[in-house]
Amino acid sequence: MRLESMIPSIPAELVAALDHSCGIRTDTDLLFSGSSLDIIKKLPLGTVTLSDLEKFTELAAEQASVPGHRGDEILADIGRISEKHTQASCGVKELDDLVGSFGDSRVFEISGAKGSGKTALALQIVIQRLLADADSCALWIDTSGDFSAEMTAQLVRYFDITVSNKVLERLQVSLGFNIEAVHDVLEALRISLSSSRAVGPRVQWIVLDSITPLLLPSLSAVSSQGHAMMTTFMRRLRELSQTFGITILVINGTSAAAPFNQSSAFASTIRKPALGPSFTFMTDCTLWLSKMKDMPDSEGPFSVHVAEVFRSRAMRSKTWCTFRIRHGVLSSTSDL
Amino acid sequence: MSRNILLHPTLPSSIQLVLRRAGYETLDDLSSTSAEGLSKELGIDISDAQSIITASQRPPGPPLSQSLASLISRSQIFACSYAAVNTALGGGLPRGRILEISGPPGSFKETLALDYTRIFVEANEEVIFVDTQNMTSLATIKKTFYNSSAAADYQDLIRYTHLHTLPDLMIFIHNLLSEIHAKTGLLVLNSISFPFLSHPDVQSSKRTALLEKIHQVFLQASALNNLTIITTSQMSTKLLNADGSPGNFETGAKAVMVPQLGSTYLPNGRSYRLVIVPESRTTGQDTFA
Repeated sequence: MRLESMIPSIPAELVAALDHSCGIRTDTDLLFSGSSLDIIKKLPLGTVTLSDLEKFTELAAEQASVPGHRGDEILADIGRISEKHTQASCGVKELDDLVGSFGDSRVFEISGAKGSGKTALALQIVIQRLLADADSCALWIDTSGDFSAEMTAQLVRYFDITVSNKVLERLQVSLGFNIEAVHDVLEALRISLSSSRAVGPRVQWIVLDSITPLLLPSLSAVSSQGHAMMTTFMRRLRELSQTFGITILVINGTSAAAPFNQSSAFASTIRKPALGPSFTFMTDCTLWLSKMKDMPDSEGPFSVHVAEVFRSRAMRSKTWCTFRIRHGVLSSTSDL
Repeated sequence: MSRNILLHPTLPSSIQLVLRRAGYETLDDLSSTSAEGLSKELGIDISDAQSIITASQRPPGPPLSQSLASLISRSQIFACSYAAVNTALGGGLPRGRILEISGPPGSFKETLALDYTRIFVEANEEVIFVDTQNMTSLATIKKTFYNSSAAADYQDLIRYTHLHTLPDLMIFIHNLLSEIHAKTGLLVLNSISFPFLSHPDVQSSKRTALLEKIHQVFLQASALNNLTIITTSQMSTKLLNADGSPGNFETGAKAVMVPQLGSTYLPNGRSYRLVIVPESRTTGQDTFA
C-alpha cells in the first residue's frame, strides 16, 4: 500500500521527504527499512520528531495488518449457518453421509472420468438447495460450453414444477474460458457480496464446471508458474468460501495412474484426479465418481455409479457408496 | 474488470512489474495520479503512462453472469421454410447456437443452409459463407435471392469465400474472431468435413487438437459474439460389433453412418446435430442427436 494513500493521517511533506531522501514509498518500505532512528538520520533536519515518526509507523502497521476475529463470534456464526444447511440433502442419503453433508461452506472437488456423473451430481445438489432455501442463489461457472440451459430448465421442472421459474432466476450462469476470466467473475462476486447495499438472494453455492482446462495447459515440468497460478486461485476460492459462507464445488478431470490408483478402495481404478498430486490438498474433500454399469429397466434405463472419498478433512477416506442416475436424476440404490 | 494490476489482461507484464514495485496494487490506487506524474515517478514513457491511466478508468463491462431464466428467454428463434426441421429444433434455431447438418450425398444439406442464409439476409444481417467443395456457387446463391423480396442488397451482406485445404480452414478459424463484427449474424461452413478428408495422414492426436481448437473458437464466437453457426458434414460408416463396441470389417456385425468429424468440435451445451435420412428421391426424415 502506498504511503500517499494514507495522506491525511500522515502529513504530505513527510511522505514527500521520505520518498526523496530515503526512497520509502510503501508501508512495507517504512516498516522494514530500519528503525525510526535510522530513518530520522536520513531525513533533512526538522521534518518530523522521533515520537511523531514512531506514531506514524504504528499507524501504517495497523492499516497493513489483518483484523482479528473473536473465536466465540466465529463459533456462533458457524452454528447458525450449519443449522440451516443440514436440513437439505442432495437427493442421495448415502452420499450425504459419505461427505458429511454438502453444506458448511467447504470447497469440494468432484472428479471422475467422462460420463461418471460429476455435472449431474453438482446440478442436482444446486437445484435441491435452491428449492429448499428460497433466499439463496447459485453461480455456475462454465468453462467448456457444456452447460445446456434447456436441459437444466427441464430438470428443475422435473423436481418442482410450481416454483421452477423463480428457481431459474436464482441460478446465475457465467462463461469463463481462461483463468483470468474466472478471476474476474469471482472478483465481481466478491465486490457485490461485500458491498453493504446488497439486496435480494445471496450467493451460497458456486460450481466451477471443469477447472481442468483452465489450469492444465500451464502446468509443466520445467516451470512452476502453473503451479503458482493454481495455488493462488484455489486459495482465493477458499478465502471466498470462508468469508462469505459459500460452498464451492470444483469439477476436475482425470489423468492416468499406473498401475492403479493407490488412494482408491478398488484395484480397478486406473485413473486419478488431474492437476497433480497437490491439488487434493487445496480442497476440503475429494470425491471420485465412476460408472459401474448400465441397466435396462421398465421405467427407463439407468446407470449405477460408485462415489468414493479419496481424501477428506472431516470424514474418513477410502469409504464409498453407490447411487443411480436415470435421465439425469440421481437416486439411491436402495430406492425401489 | 479485475481491479488487481497483476491480473489485468491488457497491460504488458513489464509495466505491471514496475507498477507493483512502486507499490500500486489495484487500479483504484491509480485514480489519484496523472499521466505526467506517473511517467516521472516510474521512469516510463508518457504514452505508456497514458495507457495505464485509460486502462484504470475504463468503466466495468457488461455483467459477467446471467440468470438461467434470462438465458432461455432472450434468444431470438429463426424458423426456416421446412416445417419438419423447425419441429425437430423445437420451434426453430435460436441465435447464438451451432447447428450441424449431416447426411449422405444428395440430401438437401446445402439447400437448408442456403435457406437459413436467406432468412438472415432478409433480417438485414451479414452472413459469412464458406464453401469447401464448390457445392454452392455464386450462381446458386444468386438464384436463391432472385425471388426474395426484401433482400435487394444481398450482395453486400454475404461474404463468400472458398477454402479447400486443412491449413486454409485452420487459418480461417484462427482469424474468425477478428473477422466478425456487430452486424455479422451467421456463419455457414459448407462441408466442414471435407478439408479433413483431403488430409488422411493427419495423426489422430493432431486431429483431436485441431478439432479442440475449432471447439474453442466456436464457443467463443457463439457465446460472446452471439454468432449463429451452421456447418454441414458428410457421413462416414462406423462398424460396430454385436454388443455395440467399436469393431472393424472382420468382427463387425452392423454398420452405422455417423457424421464424419465426431462431436469434439461442438460445444455440448449449445449445439444441435441434425441427421437427414433420405427415404426416396424426394422424401426423407430427419432425426436429432
